[in-house]
Amino acid sequence: MSSAVKHYEFIVIGGGSGGVGSARRASQYGAKTLLIEGKKLGGTCVNVGCIPKKLMWYASNLAKSITDAHDYKLFENLPLNKENLTFNWREFVDKRDSYLRVLNGIYEENLKKFGVDIDFGWATFDKQGHVEVSKHDGTKNIYSGDHILIATGGKPIIPNQIPGYEFGIDSDGFFSLKTQPKKTVVVGAGYIGIELAGVLNGLGTEAHLVIRGKTVLRKFDILIQETITDHYVATGINVHKEAKVQKVEKRTDGKLNVTLTTSETIEGADCIIWTIGRKSYLDFGLENIGVKLNDKGQILTDEYQNTSVPNVYSLGDVSGRIELTPVAIAAGRKLSNRLFGPEKFAKDKLDYTNIPSVVFSHPEVGTIGLSEAKAIEQFGQENLKIYNTSFSALYYSMLQEKTPTKYKLICAGPTEKVVGLHIVGDCSSEIMQGFGVAIKMGAVKADFDNCVAIHPTSAEELVTLK
Amino acid sequence: MFKLPAKLVNRVSTIPSLSSSILKYNIRTMSSMKEYDYVVIGGGSGGTASARRAASYGAKVLLIEGRGKLGGTCVNVGCVPKKIMWYTSDLAGKIQHGHGYNLYEELPIDKEHLTFNWPAFKEKRDAYVHRLNGIYEANCARENVDVAYGWASFNKDGSVLIKKLDGTEESVKGKHTLIATGGIPLLPKNIPGYEHGVSSDGFFELEQQPKKVVVVGAGYIGVELSGVFHGLGSEVHLCIRGDTVLRKFDSCIQDTITEHYIKSGINVHKQSQVAKVEKNATGSLTVTLNNGTVLSDVDTLVWTVGRRTLVDLNLDNVGVKINNKDQIIVDEYQNTDAQNIYSLGDVVGKVDLTPVAIAAGRKLANRIFGPEQFKNDKLSYENVPSVVFSHPTSGSCGITEKEAIEKYGKENIKIYQTGFGAMYYGVLDESFKQPTKYKLVCAGPEEKVVGLHIVGDSSDEILQGFGVAMKMGATKADFDNCVAIHPTSAEELVTLR
Repeated sequence: MSSAVKHYEFIVIGGGSGGVGSARRASQYGAKTLLIEGKKLGGTCVNVGCIPKKLMWYASNLAKSITDAHDYKLFENLPLNKENLTFNWREFVDKRDSYLRVLNGIYEENLKKFGVDIDFGWATFDKQGHVEVSKHDGTKNIYSGDHILIATGGKPIIPNQIPGYEFGIDSDGFFSLKTQPKKTVVVGAGYIGIELAGVLNGLGTEAHLVIRGKTVLRKFDILIQETITDHYVATGINVHKEAKVQKVEKRTDGKLNVTLTTSETIEGADCIIWTIGRKSYLDFGLENIGVKLNDKGQILTDEYQNTSVPNVYSLGDVSGRIELTPVAIAAGRKLSNRLFGPEKFAKDKLDYTNIPSVVFSHPEVGTIGLSEAKAIEQFGQENLKIYNTSFSALYYSMLQEKTPTKYKLICAGPTEKVVGLHIVGDCSSEIMQGFGVAIKMGAVKADFDNCVAIHPTSAEELVTLK
Repeated sequence: MFKLPAKLVNRVSTIPSLSSSILKYNIRTMSSMKEYDYVVIGGGSGGTASARRAASYGAKVLLIEGRGKLGGTCVNVGCVPKKIMWYTSDLAGKIQHGHGYNLYEELPIDKEHLTFNWPAFKEKRDAYVHRLNGIYEANCARENVDVAYGWASFNKDGSVLIKKLDGTEESVKGKHTLIATGGIPLLPKNIPGYEHGVSSDGFFELEQQPKKVVVVGAGYIGVELSGVFHGLGSEVHLCIRGDTVLRKFDSCIQDTITEHYIKSGINVHKQSQVAKVEKNATGSLTVTLNNGTVLSDVDTLVWTVGRRTLVDLNLDNVGVKINNKDQIIVDEYQNTDAQNIYSLGDVVGKVDLTPVAIAAGRKLANRIFGPEQFKNDKLSYENVPSVVFSHPTSGSCGITEKEAIEKYGKENIKIYQTGFGAMYYGVLDESFKQPTKYKLVCAGPEEKVVGLHIVGDSSDEILQGFGVAMKMGATKADFDNCVAIHPTSAEELVTLR
């Protein structure tokens, strides 16, 4: 055990999206950098978030596409319908996890290539402001840093006030499942619950979704809320509206009975997944250095990612704001630009407005800017012009069952500046990025209309709105 | 207009009251021509859009269409049926990914067991196109656009003669006339046996799937059709004159698509042309290339060697001029050399795309019939984004790297590129992987984005938003300023280094 304090210019606590992005950038500028990670490099995104989530989504999406075969007169001799759907969960999960291991390796390689030191272990602050790392083999290392970044991310919230809560799992647990549940209860109307319920339903699991309100995705525009809720119901997901879980009981056969506040009991579920929110990971001696939290229990930062303690910074999920991988990466890079980069970056910071994001529901959702409700609050109804369109993509011309596509453009003021764009439908995740660039540039409705449409596509409907 | 055939005139002339009123009517119609504010020749993308827009301003509009159905090339033998075939071919490929995703493991969803019921699917596709024809007609009716089915040409007095499909003829006068007659495929009449092949129009008439097909031509139509055939299980031979397909596109697209087509099993015959086509007693074809290669037992040969305009309208009678490519000459406002006669769409040949024709058509109608604010309305033909439904899809906006070097000089250009395997292919066997390659061409110190060229899954849907940004004058910094969306392919365009 080394009791000597090793010094670094930059210590990054947390090897997820934000931490790695910042560490690499700092090292590129020549700062002697240490990255500390308690679990696996890549953080939530690589290990229990974006990446495995998207791979599951691909599987679920493909399962559906395969059932379109007969309408497209393909493989007519094979019973490619939902009844005959099989999914080898175990083997696929192994493949999925191998892919993640490769990414973990790539992250490590890239960090080393850029000269970043890595220490695997759990960091805490001691009273001197040093960072103590407790490694998995029981040893400890102590570090001091000129600048310290807290990018420890977050973790799922478990409702430990609900009797039987311990019989449930969270999204981390979803990614640990080795067998496919036949019947699942997903609790929560946020994007994580929606994505998991959609994936499970698509892969043949009987999915129950318990939501407190009448719609899912309540932080999103009403168009998205209603279209996804209705479509989920239409595609066989049992959506229990205005309901909460009262208790969870484990039966002798190992299955679960879930009683809702509506008095209904969902019987014989293989698992219940709590997706009721996430909280910052803060358990590492913050009180020893006096880093302040906001009223949501997230690390309080200013627009430059400074915390209340000089030379200590924070970004990514642990500081809240906008919990997305690319946001953490961008904030991380800009912080390093500011701290270690050339003079021109002395005031570099991330602009948190007009950040596009998507939800991997079925179908996909994309959004940027204000919802209609927020736009009305900010500008007043009379100063808004809303453009809507609704159609079935050409792909469905040959199919009996259609998936909806709905777009909404929110424009404000006499110039019709685009302040919000909300889209639901196939390919929304890929359509969004370019429009994000345009909106960030300050696009007005006329800018959208000025670009000739690309035909035949879904995206073209966004430049031909009336 | 009601014109009584001669036989009937004779018969009813014996009925006193009826005959005199009918004759009076006849005399009236024979000496006066129906007059319209706007006569539009061609009921395709450009024509219908312009006609409807004009009618929305209150103009009295007549739309003339020779095919007997509306929608033009796009609806009937272009964009729409093409995309539907692309979906089929793409889906055929996706189904074969099933096992890689551990789906339907018990069913043999592989290439060997691929079946496609071409005849039954053609029926469905045709029915959909027919529905669209009906919708186009309904739209015109609802918006007070008169429709006449027949072939139009100009009379010496500037009126338009319509040889209707029912055998009758009628002449109409338009205060303003639009020629939007489009184009048709070229057939290489100099090649012996050319008549044994079909054009892209013929592709859409095929009742059976050819087992072995030869596609001639390296342009996007040949690339799309050969991709579709291949995905559906046909043995495909693509004959191209050069070394790459899509030679009008950036090298990124040319190289990536050519290589991938070869890798995925399409027989690409480079630097070759067809010397002759022979039809055998069995009905199959023998296709001989100029390099000596003989392709035998060919079921179908599709010529995709270019398109030509439809200008057979006695344009000389009104002084409308054409260039040496037989395209109608127009200025930036779509004016021809004849006053009050305009032209747009494929017959003008600037950018042969449906949305371009539609946009030009609407702006023309705005200018002629719309309010004061539109009196100078015209379409800018710069930075028009377009996509090719190859496998994978490709998209392009702005100029190629080569064009940029010519225009700005190599030292004033910065190229950003990336190539990667989309995550979707992460769990699939090498043989199923499709490449993704993006190229950004920037010019000047501010790194203005002058060209964007993309190949890869979803390129067709990715491009539109970036087209808007480029039209707004986006620079590299604008691209970088937008936070990435993760995990997607498109995000790679805002994180280029």
